[in-house]
Amino acid sequence: MDQTVNRGIRLNRVKGRARAWMSKPANIILLVFLITLTVLTLYPLISLLLETVTIHTGREARAAKLAAGEFSFYHFQRLFLTKENDYSWIQFYQPFLNTLIISLASSLIAILFGGVVAFLVTRTNLKYKKFVSAVFTFPYIMPSWTLALFWEAFFKNVNIGLKTSNGIMAAVFHVYMPEWFVYGAFPIALVLGLHYAPFAYILIGGILRNMDANLEEAATILKTSRPRIIWRITLPIVKPAMLSTFLLVFASSMSAYSVPVFLGSPVRYYVLSTKMKSLMDSYPGQAYIIVAVMILFGVAILLLNQKVTNSRKQFTTVTGKSGQISKINLGKANRPIAILLVVILLLVAVVPLLTFAMESVIIKAGDYSLSNMTLDFWIGTDLEKRLDQGDSTGILLNPKVWNALGYSLGLAVTCALVAGTCGILVGYGVAKRRGSKLASWVNSLSFFPYLMPSLAFGAIYLAMSSKIPWLRGFLLLGLVGSVKYLPFASRSGVNAMLQLSGEIEEAAVITGVPWWKRMLRVIFPIQKSSFLSGYLLPMVSCMRELSLFVLLVPTSNTILTTMLMQYSEKGWAQFGNAINLLIIIVVLLVNFTVNKLTGASIDKGVGG
Amino acid sequence: MPEIILKNVSKRFGKFVAVDNLNLNIESNSFITLLGPSGCGKTTTLRMIAGLETPTEGSITIDGKTVFDADRGINLPPNKRDVGFLFQNYALWPHMTVYQNIAFGLENLKWDKKRIQERVKELLVMLRIEQFEKRYPSELSGGQQQRVAIARTLAPGPKVLFMDEPLSNLDAKLRMEMRTELKRLHRDTDSTFVYVTHDQLEAMTLSTRVCIMETGVLQQYAPPLEMYNNPANLFVADFMGNPTMNFIDGHINAGGEVSFGGMKARYEGKEQIGEKDVVVGIRPEYIHIDEEGAREATVYSTLPSGMETTVKLDVNGTSLTAVVFGDVDYPVDAQVKFSFHKAAVIFDQATGKNIGRGKLTLL
Repeated sequence: MDQTVNRGIRLNRVKGRARAWMSKPANIILLVFLITLTVLTLYPLISLLLETVTIHTGREARAAKLAAGEFSFYHFQRLFLTKENDYSWIQFYQPFLNTLIISLASSLIAILFGGVVAFLVTRTNLKYKKFVSAVFTFPYIMPSWTLALFWEAFFKNVNIGLKTSNGIMAAVFHVYMPEWFVYGAFPIALVLGLHYAPFAYILIGGILRNMDANLEEAATILKTSRPRIIWRITLPIVKPAMLSTFLLVFASSMSAYSVPVFLGSPVRYYVLSTKMKSLMDSYPGQAYIIVAVMILFGVAILLLNQKVTNSRKQFTTVTGKSGQISKINLGKANRPIAILLVVILLLVAVVPLLTFAMESVIIKAGDYSLSNMTLDFWIGTDLEKRLDQGDSTGILLNPKVWNALGYSLGLAVTCALVAGTCGILVGYGVAKRRGSKLASWVNSLSFFPYLMPSLAFGAIYLAMSSKIPWLRGFLLLGLVGSVKYLPFASRSGVNAMLQLSGEIEEAAVITGVPWWKRMLRVIFPIQKSSFLSGYLLPMVSCMRELSLFVLLVPTSNTILTTMLMQYSEKGWAQFGNAINLLIIIVVLLVNFTVNKLTGASIDKGVGG
Repeated sequence: MPEIILKNVSKRFGKFVAVDNLNLNIESNSFITLLGPSGCGKTTTLRMIAGLETPTEGSITIDGKTVFDADRGINLPPNKRDVGFLFQNYALWPHMTVYQNIAFGLENLKWDKKRIQERVKELLVMLRIEQFEKRYPSELSGGQQQRVAIARTLAPGPKVLFMDEPLSNLDAKLRMEMRTELKRLHRDTDSTFVYVTHDQLEAMTLSTRVCIMETGVLQQYAPPLEMYNNPANLFVADFMGNPTMNFIDGHINAGGEVSFGGMKARYEGKEQIGEKDVVVGIRPEYIHIDEEGAREATVYSTLPSGMETTVKLDVNGTSLTAVVFGDVDYPVDAQVKFSFHKAAVIFDQATGKNIGRGKLTLL
């Protein structure tokens, strides 16, 4: 009798506890995301690993002399251990080494450039500060290949690379740059370094800006010299941010695809990502192994980064809210430094756009006289009568371009809506249940896609979609984009939610405001600009994304970026440049409209 | 007229016990203070009663209605408990005006527009913030924000009002002012107040009963003056009162003679103690300094504040704190005479528990 009563009580307790658990929206959200993200990240990962031990039909099966679909370690043996004709060296070890060199070099360039500018802007009385800080994030907003294409267009000549035509440097100034300067490791590292320098600028600048002035003043009182203060006080404090930047840029450069394709492939300089793409068609098994290697690297970097950012928290608690920061007087050096900086930024951010505009209107490459210019590539018709290659209409009259633009925009908006909303929900769940195991799992899972190189991520979903017949076209691209950009959105979501004291929501709970209304009427309006940044970043990234989608698009005319890629491969330079300009303008337009209307901005979401 | 009853309520976060088997009976219309140092479980207790936190065990009844029972699996959400909650940081919604902040909760209760308008007006007048109706919280001073927060909490007319250190963000002067207003509000609203604070003075001055806690365990639950004069143990005695009570280790013999800190005294109280190691507790204001004093002491230092002077005495190496009322001062190292008045409290040295209260006469 007693036992049955006890059992009843125990059952009630369990039921009550379960009901209490389920009555909190944060718990349900976390549970749903735990399951969905596990399926969307772990399942593809497993299917990828299976691909590396499966023989695929076609050339692969013939070369391996095995039946398609058979289980075998042939790919590993072939890719890693084949000495014959230096196969392994050419296909794997050389590109691997190149990847390391480029990632390392670009990280250093990014930290040096971004860090120095961050210091100048936050800690000195530099002139033109407003302009510098406004233009500095440009290179990140623009597609990464922008600079690559600009570099090539500016410096190429008939002696090197594909030996097709002269760029501005050779045609106008008659300076013929050597091959190492125009193609290969040097320009790739430089371009990537400049592209990711805003990371360093935002991360390091954030720390410098919030650093307690007392820390430096205390040293000044103790009669420490300026350089010594910078060396012994300021640098150690920003060191964690520098390490964090290093790892982020390293990971991003490692997975970069478009820059090495434009600046490396013409001289057969390969990195892991470009090698993987070229292997994908004929030897997918080996390509998938390269993907696995890249992911392994990414995970290692994430773990390192987590270690670094954990110790960074200790630093930020040391530095409190800053008072008046004493600025270093640059004195006579001020103007020259400021002008140099402005010139560099113009070269990096503005001149490329002018170059693309220029290149898109000249008829015969290398001839920059007015008589050689035409708007045909933008608005011309019946071009096949006048040109020996290219489309028959200018891009603005070409329905294919408009279709692709529409598709790109639709895709970007979809990904932004899905990723941004999920990011807010993840942020809500993680912040509410902060410290619980469930929250930290979901937090890590939602960051995992960041580690997967875009091209690799695309490759995995390609492998997965081959087994799921309905996962095709827009649905597939939208899904990939949403998952891949979730880390951006969830990061800004988590940050925004952590800033909000729990009491703000509880004050509404007490009066019985339902959950959805609390989100819409209380939480969202307060953190509007942070949340909107969580939408903006996926949108902008998606609009200019190439490597993630390049393997997955049904035809290369589907989205603008793959269309650009196709034109560039065919050598239709003018059409390519015009489309490139179109993409950049759309991206900048979206960014600035959202920024002006809502106050959301890219730098609120990047890194952090 | 709601009454709140907590039965065997515990809250554990993993292995950490925040509240341990708490039994509390909060009478209707009372003004209860949960008092204790930070981390003692007072805020957790408040949040459990309000429904913002789920207890691990026990049951809670508000106004005869069971709002939580672990054994029966009952757990009403906060909005079904008919309570108000005033937060430490006010938690005003920064994107809504003062009017909107107060009206938002009423809109959710589906009041009609006219009634909402009237009620908000009434509250604005009551808390004297009519002129700020259209302002945003960031445009108000701390004291004004506090009033808006109170207005928002009172708007739906909750029968029970919970307050989590609502005055700790105000400056000393405003805090005094708000204290008197809260006490008045308690009378005017005719509801039960449960108030969390770590400030013993606030607890003393505001409440009808104080519940003092340490590391999740209830130490004493009594009216403030009783708690002050007859503290249940050393912790409570030490926590209540400023300057704090004098504690001197000593020994009492079967005849009621106490020897402590080089002094000897006769103890006369209701409770028979017997022979024991004890701690003698004497409130500073019960040490009188005058010519008739039974014993000599040296003045170690003085802290005159105008209304009263805190005097630190040295009695052969034992230091005693005394409070003398009025604008008196003594030169440092002066010789004075003192004696004990009113009651001293005797604590068991081993357990720290109050074992007797009575008069000490110096021998």
